[in-house]
Amino acid sequence: MQITVQSAKQNLGIEAAPHLHAPMTTQKIMLYVLIALIPAYGTVIYFFGFALIWQFLLCALTAYILELICAALRSKNLKLAAKDLSGIVTAAILALTIPPLLPWHLSIAATFFAIVIVKQVFGGLGMNIFNPAMAGFIFLVISAPGVFYSTWLTPAPAALKVATIDKTAGVIFMGDNPKVIYDEIVSLKENPDVLTGATFLESIKTARKAGTVNEIKTTNFTSDDYFAYLCLAIAITVGGLFLIIFKIILFQMPLAFLLTVGSLGGLWHFLDPTASISALEHLLFGGTMLGAFFIITDPVTNCGTSKGRILFAILSGCLLILIRINGSYSDSVAFAVMLSNAAAPLIDVLTRRRPFGIGYRKGGLD
Amino acid sequence: MAKTKQLTKILSGKIWKFFGGIYPEEHKNTSDLPIIELGIPSLITLPVDRHLGKGGEILVTVGEYVKAGQPLTRPGPGRLVPLHASTSGHILSISQQVLPHPSGYTGLCIVIKPDLLDAKVDPQPMLNWQHEDPKVLLERIRLYGVEGLGGAQFQTAAKLGSAIMDGNTCSIFIVNGCECEPVATCDDRLMQEKALEIVEGIEVIKHILKPKVSLIAIEDNKPKAIAAMKKAIEGHQDIQVRALPTVYPSGAARNLIKIVTGIEIPYDAHTSDCGIVVDNVETVFAVKQAVIDGIPLIRRVVTVDGESLHKKGNAWVRLGTSVRFVLNAFKLNPERRQRIILGGPFMGFTLPSIDVPITKSATCVFTPSQKEVPLASESQNCIRCGRCARVCPSRLTPYKMYALSKASKHPEALKCGIMDCTECGCCAYVCPSRIPLTMQFRREKAILHIIKDNQKRTDVIKERMNAKEARLKEEARIREEKKKAALARIAAQKKLKEQGGAPAQDNDLAARRAQALEGARARAAKRLENAQNDSKAPLQVNKIVGALPETEVNQAKDEVVNLSQELKPTSKIVLNLEATKTPKSQDPQKAPLKEDNALPFSLRRGAVPKIAQIQNPWTEPQIIDKGSLLKVENPPLEPIVVAEVKKPRYLESWQEQKEAPKLPKALKLTNREQH
Repeated sequence: MQITVQSAKQNLGIEAAPHLHAPMTTQKIMLYVLIALIPAYGTVIYFFGFALIWQFLLCALTAYILELICAALRSKNLKLAAKDLSGIVTAAILALTIPPLLPWHLSIAATFFAIVIVKQVFGGLGMNIFNPAMAGFIFLVISAPGVFYSTWLTPAPAALKVATIDKTAGVIFMGDNPKVIYDEIVSLKENPDVLTGATFLESIKTARKAGTVNEIKTTNFTSDDYFAYLCLAIAITVGGLFLIIFKIILFQMPLAFLLTVGSLGGLWHFLDPTASISALEHLLFGGTMLGAFFIITDPVTNCGTSKGRILFAILSGCLLILIRINGSYSDSVAFAVMLSNAAAPLIDVLTRRRPFGIGYRKGGLD
Repeated sequence: MAKTKQLTKILSGKIWKFFGGIYPEEHKNTSDLPIIELGIPSLITLPVDRHLGKGGEILVTVGEYVKAGQPLTRPGPGRLVPLHASTSGHILSISQQVLPHPSGYTGLCIVIKPDLLDAKVDPQPMLNWQHEDPKVLLERIRLYGVEGLGGAQFQTAAKLGSAIMDGNTCSIFIVNGCECEPVATCDDRLMQEKALEIVEGIEVIKHILKPKVSLIAIEDNKPKAIAAMKKAIEGHQDIQVRALPTVYPSGAARNLIKIVTGIEIPYDAHTSDCGIVVDNVETVFAVKQAVIDGIPLIRRVVTVDGESLHKKGNAWVRLGTSVRFVLNAFKLNPERRQRIILGGPFMGFTLPSIDVPITKSATCVFTPSQKEVPLASESQNCIRCGRCARVCPSRLTPYKMYALSKASKHPEALKCGIMDCTECGCCAYVCPSRIPLTMQFRREKAILHIIKDNQKRTDVIKERMNAKEARLKEEARIREEKKKAALARIAAQKKLKEQGGAPAQDNDLAARRAQALEGARARAAKRLENAQNDSKAPLQVNKIVGALPETEVNQAKDEVVNLSQELKPTSKIVLNLEATKTPKSQDPQKAPLKEDNALPFSLRRGAVPKIAQIQNPWTEPQIIDKGSLLKVENPPLEPIVVAEVKKPRYLESWQEQKEAPKLPKALKLTNREQH
């Protein structure tokens, strides 16, 4: 009997082994990350107002359309590109990190930079060297610092009542003054704390440079002013635990990262209180928690092996503290992650695996 | 016997862990179904490529009658075993047939038309095997065709032999009953049903290897098999049963050794060279049958499973039975583009044709429906999630190897350890982007083999080139020297002439010439003499064909004389005559090989042209029993039930409309009137 390619294709199904597959797919991973972000989104919306939804919609829509355009330009399968949720995940994380009241054109510019320049130019999904969300964030910080720092909000309980859909839309799309919403939210607080900057880290920036951090009064996380940060940290942890349970991220990574940040920050605070805030403040303020569970765990820009990933987390933790205490920007998660991304291939080389049977002696038994 | 620390740990029942591994769905639906006997198929196809080798020969010719268990080939030296007929019948053809291979390659096969009587060669049990030399037992195992039945088909006698030859000693013998492959339950069933025989087989191998301890390793998802084996080993002191945690691929030899003994054996070392031998339970059973019962390996257990079958189970299948017959017996109801996987969903492959024989390496036939095992979807980009690196039992980084292989960076891929890949399929199983990693690694390995072969060839060519250059240089040098000498001579002669003296050397030269002429004449005379001697060759016939009756010798002499008159190379013809006139009563197995080897390949006994034409199997009616010829491919004993498909109502009405006779009214009326 003669078998031709044609006859074989017509008669019996031909497939490459293995024929069984685990149920997890890339689409599902992206979906689970989006689901894990829901608690964080809820908390942010409650404490910072409705603006986040606008930012998310803006970024996600831009990202999705840009992904499709890039797929068409690179003559990729459009159906697969349409199913791909990775751009939306990038947009969701980017929307969570940028100031809520950022004008729409800047959000779109940041998304464009993240998706097109950082991701697609390098070859699309899985090929980028740097974390796209963080790159978009840094793009904004460096290129438009004035607008960037004037559109932050301070959190207040039930800020959702003040920062409504209409008002936030007015600020983001129509160019209304963001100061109005900011003042209204501050007035919600029972005893408004006077901060020089929009966020805590921003306000201590000058104190940090002058070496007078110890003169700022310690933060009480159960008070109105800072309760939002505690809630946000808990919400992000809940999302992170969800990812850990579904085995999407390694639990060792956030653990190593948080331990490094906490211990190094605490040590610095102990040795030199004039330069560093306390360990708990290091953990809860800024993007530490988000970074621990959602940003450093990005598999693409990470090391490959588990050992390499833990080293990567420790490195980014160290860099975070270093830049936060000595740098000239208020928060440093993005910079720390980008620098670690650049170091990831090196870590990959350093943590090369030992081949099977390396401790073998002739004769087997000792 | 001094026990080492490691051995004490092993004896205490410690179980180690190996890196990686996956936990796939087991699909072990057939572990409670007893092994059934499958009937005799209408054709038996036995591939000979693993049973012939260099210097081997086929012992049968087309049309010969063979009995079950009769050896059909005598293999050449090396790790090859003879092929045995798996049932009685006539040899239909020795030709190229489709082999069980993912690409549907053809190979030389012996096709037997069974006579359905299943006459067997008398079993020759070895009664006093306890007192035999291990070498005798090993030869027995080899001659009875025992090979690894776990899937790799490594020759058992060679494996056992290498563990005790050359001063090696075996310390641990592991019986592999893990069967980590999903779907397959053949080892499980065999352990449940033939536990005592397996233990006898272990005793035989223990007699050969004399290990410090024998372990039966079974995954803990087979509690019945564990219980059966535990019951069977009662009274045997140095055999232990180990229940191992269920994880794929624990059944791979090196992973199993790691689990049971904690020793990691690198991939460039042999497991038997370091005192550990791993054998599948079915192989052990075959060893028992070969040694104690004297039955060669002619059948094996095959698991047949899948949602597309009406019946599932395990069956004793004669080697050479076609997959079609097996599927027929289990009532395959194929779906569109049915996948037929030979050898388990992880290590097996889809068959391009089902008219291929079951061989010793086929553990199971899996025919999943698309619901059970979804079709492979298109692969996406790698997101470097690292799952493949976390599950690889060889501790490799598949995502990296894949990228390098895709970029055709072959040396880098080799450096990354691609040759350590066992193609277990763990990485491709967990890949969320559905990248066919294992397929790429197989391809990459093949490419690396080609590169290696080419490298070897270029090395040889380079060596030859260098040798040639050196030779040419040397020749040129000698020529130069001769030229110099000659020039010097001429110059001297000229000088002499100028001085007016007679050329003294002329005499010398003439003498040398005469000498050379004489030598040439002598050589020519000798050559002539040799030629005359050759023509007297028929005298040798007496010496060679001494055993033949005189009349035949005379005939042969006449023939040879006739031939020699026609001036042909005679010595070869004499040998040829000897070969053709050997009496048939002589046992072919004992016939001396020497004369045969002296012949050109095409004249050897039983030789088959390299590219044999596929013979029409139905051209020899006078040999085959006509009764059996009437039988078509064995019909299933029970009628095939074809489930009726209910058509949707709208289709029905449409069809009715279509089928309704469109007769003119007048005709219809006449019809009615007729009734």
